[in-house]
Formats: sequence, structure tokens, C-alpha cells
Amino acid sequence: MSEDNVVIRLENVSKTFTIRDKVSGNLLEKSWAFASGGNKRRIEAVKNINLEVKKGEFLGIVGANGCGKSTLIHLMTGVYKPDKGGIASIDGTYIRLSLGLGFNGQLTARENIYLNGSVMGVKISELNKNFRKIIEFAELQKFVNTKLKYFSRGMRARLAFAVAVHAEADIILMDEFFGGVGDERFKARSDEIFQKAFVNGRTIVHVSHNMRTIKQYADRVVLLHEGECRGIGSPDEILDLYRETIKVRRLSMREE
Amino acid sequence: MAQGLAARIYTIIPENNRLERIWLLAKTDFKIQYSSSALGVIWAFVYPLMRILIYYVVFSFVFAKDIPNYGFYIFSGIMIWMYFQEATKGGLKVIRSKRYLLENIRFNKLDVYYSSILTNLIGFLVNISVFLAMMIITGLPITWKLIYYPIFIINLMMLCLGISLILSTINVYLKDISQLWELVLLLMFWINPIFFAKQKIFNMFPALLYANPLAGIIINSRDVIMYGKDPDWFLVGYNYVLAGSILAIGVWSFNKFFHKAIEKI
Repeated sequence: MSEDNVVIRLENVSKTFTIRDKVSGNLLEKSWAFASGGNKRRIEAVKNINLEVKKGEFLGIVGANGCGKSTLIHLMTGVYKPDKGGIASIDGTYIRLSLGLGFNGQLTARENIYLNGSVMGVKISELNKNFRKIIEFAELQKFVNTKLKYFSRGMRARLAFAVAVHAEADIILMDEFFGGVGDERFKARSDEIFQKAFVNGRTIVHVSHNMRTIKQYADRVVLLHEGECRGIGSPDEILDLYRETIKVRRLSMREE
Repeated sequence: MAQGLAARIYTIIPENNRLERIWLLAKTDFKIQYSSSALGVIWAFVYPLMRILIYYVVFSFVFAKDIPNYGFYIFSGIMIWMYFQEATKGGLKVIRSKRYLLENIRFNKLDVYYSSILTNLIGFLVNISVFLAMMIITGLPITWKLIYYPIFIINLMMLCLGISLILSTINVYLKDISQLWELVLLLMFWINPIFFAKQKIFNMFPALLYANPLAGIIINSRDVIMYGKDPDWFLVGYNYVLAGSILAIGVWSFNKFFHKAIEKI
């Protein structure tokens, strides 16, 4: 680990996707489009981001839909490779939490806990010890041997969060994870965990529309707008800026 | 220098729970394959046996008395074949089927390939035990030459790992590879000495013995397990070199293209 305790580092990171649109028309038109690349489009999802996340920091990421938040998370974890010239590195074990992903619907809660934990690097003997705690935290005592495909979104979210917390990932990246799920009780408990995470030196990156959580816990917030970083700073500062960009955007849309 | 060496050793020696994890992934996949059916894991026994029985009945009509112990002849070939077919087909799809882990958690991504190769090994070992049990029941002699058998299992696993890595990379750019691979499998099924006596194919097309990485494995493994003969050591060496080269190409393509694969699924 570097001496300044930076666990995630992004330098001049951009990400461009090349996509092909589906061509309608006859076979000749289709093959022409394929050969000439006429249906190709380049989409700059993230543009020139410089960012460092320190160990134990709670970083919030806000921005309108489609501004590149999820792409940025994928760049942080190294699942996406940045365009030439950019450097992205992450130091430590991580888990990305997002709704609907992370579990196999064909497996039971028990099997998913063991599989996810093991893939994260936790020994099975450790998981045996923590298994009850995970189930209790997720409040799924009655569904230990139920296949995940029968779980509601809220139940999946609880399970994923419980695994992430107990498998002791160094870095937890949450991608709209609490988007409308979890009742008040669960929210209160995750609040508790957010507070504890600081104590344990866990790093959290939190993409959210939930301003309350960001305001309450984030040390720093990043505002993304159309792939660009519009500002990094304290929650109050950035949330004000965010409200303004939304206003400007609405106005410009009206003018068009 | 010292750091580079340390990094190299780190990649060779598994970190704390790596082997455990690969095995858990493999075991879980094996369970998923059968968990939705009513008979469950019993299918792992029943399916290959029924398949062999069907081939046996059909082909006994076609090549009446060409080969003695024809049932065992087919069985010894087909169990290698089934492993090859299932492992490469599974490997081709592994990025998609393991996406839910690859995208969210940090771990050595090669592990999903290892586990995919291991998953099918479970079924293969079941087949081998059934084969040996049937040999004992029917009174065919099992000789000490059987100790050579693992040589061919390892060769086969190397081959399947290499092919999985290559196919899954191609699959990123060309989805049609899964249909194409089905056709290649169909062709390979008929040019390998699974049903035919090996002389029948290789006297006509001697090049096929060397062009096709599976033929030598089938011939040698059959000699060892069924006939109690020594393997053809030249062919063993040749097949290891071939599988090793395919594996090297696979690892190279994995290192070069894997990150693109995840972006495109």
C-alpha cells in the first residue's frame, strides 16, 4: 500500500465505448453497414477524471441518470479498462453491490453466501463461523434454503449487504444499491453500519440519489455531469451545485 | 528484481483460499446443472449410460462384429468425448454464466475457467468408476497399466482449458462461435475413433491422427484402461505438446482480451 493511504486512484481516466446500432433494411444494406462501419457510434461515457479515494473514506457520487456513474464504478474496480493514457488502480479486496446482480438465482441463500464469500477470499471455516451472523443481519432466518429467484429485491439487497459487511471487504462500492428498497428498520441498521465502517477503516464508494445518506455520511462528494467531473468537495457544496445543474438542465431542455 | 520475483511466486502459490474457492465454484456449478430436474444428480449416472446404450444398440447393427467388447470400446471413447464436449461448451459460455461474480468481486478471473474444467471432471470421474465397475462385473481384466490413466485426464484438461480460453475470447467478438463450435464438435465426433476401429480412420487419413488433438488421447487411454497395454509414448508426448501449445495461445488471448469481454457482455 502506498504511504498516503490511497486505495483507489484514477488519473486522466476516460472511457469511450464503440457500439453498433442495429441496421434495418435488406441484407445488402446490412452487410454494407457492417463492412463500412456506418452504423458505428462512439460514446464517451466518462471524460478525463482525476480522483483519489483514501482508505476509510466515504465517497459519494451524484449525477443525473446516464452521466457515467456506473461506468466510473466499473473503472474503479478495473472491470472496465480506461482509454489509452488513463491509469486506474484499486488496492484491496472489494465488492460491488448493485440491485439484481451478484447472486445466482438458481442457488439458495446459503449457497450464495458461501460462493460470494469464498470468491472474495474468505475461507470456508471463517464463513461457517459467520454464517449465523450474516443470516441474522439480513433477517432471512426463514429463507436459508430458499433459492434466490424467489427472493424480493429487498431481500436480495439485505443479503448482499450482509455478505459484504461480514466478508470484510476493504472497499464496498454501492451502485444505487438502496434505490427504493429496505424498510425503515433496515435503513436504520445500514446507517449503523455506515458509522461502524469508519471505525473499521472500511472504504465506501456510494452512488446514490438518496441525498440524506450522502449528506449525513459522505466525506467528499463527486458530481458527474455528462461524463465529466463537475466538482469534488464537501457534501453541502456539491449538493448545492448538483441542484443547480439539474435546474440549468431543465431550463435548457425547455428552450430546445 | 526481488519484487518481480516475489510477484511471480505469489501467482504460483495460491493465496489463502484459492483451491478451496475453485473447488466450491466447480461443485456449485455441478449442483446447478442438476438441481432443477426431479431426479437430480442421478442424471449424472443415468444420462451417460443411456447414451452409451443407445449408441451400442445402433452401432452394433451397423458394424456387426468388427470389434470385440464393442460396448466397452464405445464407453471408453465416449467418456473422453463427453468430457471434451461439455467442458469446451461450458468454457465457451463461462464469462456470461459467471458474470454475476466477475463483475462484482475482485478475484483471479482465471479461477472461473479452472472451475469450469473441474465441474465436468466430476461427471467424468463418475463415468470412469461406472466403467471400471462394469469391467469387474463382466470379468474383463483390469491391469496395473491403469495407473497411466491420469496422464490422459491431465492432458485432456489442459486441452479443454486452452480451448475454453480461446473460444470464450472469440465469443466476445463473434457470437456465432457457439454455433460454429457445435459444427466442429459434430465433425470431431465422427473423425475420432469413438465408434470405429482406429485403423479404419487412420489408414485412410493418417494425418487425422495428428491434426486432431483428441484422437491420441482416446486411443492411448483406451489401450490403458481396456486392453492393459502400454500407451504409445510418442503419441503421448505429441499430444502434450499440442495441448500445451493450445493452452499457451489460450492464456495469451485471455490476458490480452479478457477485459474487453466483460465490457461487451
